[in-house]
Amino acid sequence: MIIYKAKYFLRETANNLWQYKTRHFFSLTIICLSFLIVGLFLAISNNLRDRADDLSKNLVIVFYLQKSLPAAEQDLIEQQVRHSPLVADVRVISPAEASEKLLQDFPGLKDILMNLQTNPFPASIEATLKDPRTPYDQTLRFITEMKKNAGVEDVQFNRDWADKIQSLSRLAQAVGFFLGGILILASFIIISNVIKLNVFARKSEIEILRLVGGTNTFIRIPFLLEGISLGMAGSLLSLFLLLIITKIFPVYLGTSLGALQELISFRYLSFSQVISMVAGGGFVGFLGSLSSLSRFLRI
Amino acid sequence: MIELYHVWKQYQKPGWALSDVTITVKKGEFCFITGPSGSGKSTLLKTMYREVVPTEGQIIIGGKNILKIPDHKIYLLRRNMGIVYQDFRLLFHRRVFDNVAVALQVIGAPMKDMKRKVFIALRMVNLHHRIWDYPSHLSYGEQQRLAIARAVVNNPRILLADEPTGNLDPKLAVEIIGLFKEINKQGTTVIICTHDKELIRQFGDRILFLHEGKLLRKDAA
Ligand SMILES: Nc1ncnc2c1ncn2[C@@H]1O[C@H](COP(=O)(O)OP(=O)(O)OP(=O)(O)O)[C@@H](O)[C@H]1O
Ligand SMILES: [Mg+2]
Repeated sequence: MIIYKAKYFLRETANNLWQYKTRHFFSLTIICLSFLIVGLFLAISNNLRDRADDLSKNLVIVFYLQKSLPAAEQDLIEQQVRHSPLVADVRVISPAEASEKLLQDFPGLKDILMNLQTNPFPASIEATLKDPRTPYDQTLRFITEMKKNAGVEDVQFNRDWADKIQSLSRLAQAVGFFLGGILILASFIIISNVIKLNVFARKSEIEILRLVGGTNTFIRIPFLLEGISLGMAGSLLSLFLLLIITKIFPVYLGTSLGALQELISFRYLSFSQVISMVAGGGFVGFLGSLSSLSRFLRI
Repeated sequence: MIELYHVWKQYQKPGWALSDVTITVKKGEFCFITGPSGSGKSTLLKTMYREVVPTEGQIIIGGKNILKIPDHKIYLLRRNMGIVYQDFRLLFHRRVFDNVAVALQVIGAPMKDMKRKVFIALRMVNLHHRIWDYPSHLSYGEQQRLAIARAVVNNPRILLADEPTGNLDPKLAVEIIGLFKEINKQGTTVIICTHDKELIRQFGDRILFLHEGKLLRKDAA
């Protein structure tokens, strides 16, 4: 009996959605765009967070050495770095290696480098920290200690970057939730209005259902299902569009930036985010139609 | 058993659509309500399934005061009734089949059962060949027969019919009332509003005559 009813309700819902397709199509578009914006910001935030996580997974301090530093002094600095209890691994990068690496990453820069005649890169020492959770002030003390060396020209610590990107990720998320909140509220209002129109359009039909002995639930369920379908379809559609965007965006960037595309591998939403987007769509639809029914389809 | 006690109905002041109507229709009875246009026949029928709530009076059906049933329980009353409306009230964007099936769908009847019952009901009114058509393609008389099929499809205990033969030719009218008579023989209480004196003469066990909302004649069978 439950299956027969389910069949009936689904058929009824499909019929009704089809009957007012223009109305439903427009509302679907707006709902889809709203969810797309939420999804976009979520994706951006995800990617930034990934980047930050990558960076902080192996924290690296790079000491740039003075140009034409005598080999003996360079060895001395290297020894000093190696002996620090914070450091796990040390790698010395010669000017030649540095320029090679750059050429690998950005082949387009080859001509410029060739024209320079001399190698613009200083030698550097890359120190990987033992523990990514090393307290910041400890690292900082180590860096200031090292800076006292005359041979050390400059120091770069990617923890700063990680922090900056991390906070950007949080910003993107906050903006996403704020905009998303407003847009989803709009979706709610749209769905609630569409259901209201549907209720009015089917007044006589509702009347007949009541006269032949339909319960309130029986009469309401198709309307609720309509709202839920609209919300879910909207969010599903937006996820699909987002998928296309995340696939196309890096390709587009790739053609305009050459080798840089390696740096921008755009990741899609996580599984749980996808699920919550779809469920959220359904929930917004459910609430939208429920609010309409409680106002316009009282017993 | 359907009992009406001192039922009054006023739609607008002045004038009463029903004034002080007291009737009792016993279980299994077959009864006509007649009277001139505007005399309150439809109103009287509508009070019995509570589409119209009387201004005064009490209505008791099957021992229950139907005016005391809460709105969300009224479906229980209506599920026991088959009703043919004067204005048919068909679902015009549903097929003939669905129009009859809806009476079974609301009670959650299984699909297999439903198909069989719908077909039988449509054959009774000789409309089974139009089962997949839309009501808007049917003539008035055919629409009326469709409304009748919907009313009888789930063997109601009470059958209320408002001018069920208004658009039918005399031969078909006799057939339809004959059908109601058959249903009545199986224990269903039948109340029919009609203008048709010929039908009343032919089938009338009991006739209630309304005039300006008042009951004029109460002759039991
Ligand atoms: N919804 C309504 N609002 C106001 N007045 C109404 C309403 N329904 C019926 N009436 C009035 O109540 C009176 C009785 O109407 P009713 O429909 O019961 O008559 P009837 O006997 O069924 O007539 P007919 O034979 O033409 O169908 C009429 O005067 C009608 O104008
Ligand atoms: Mg009438």
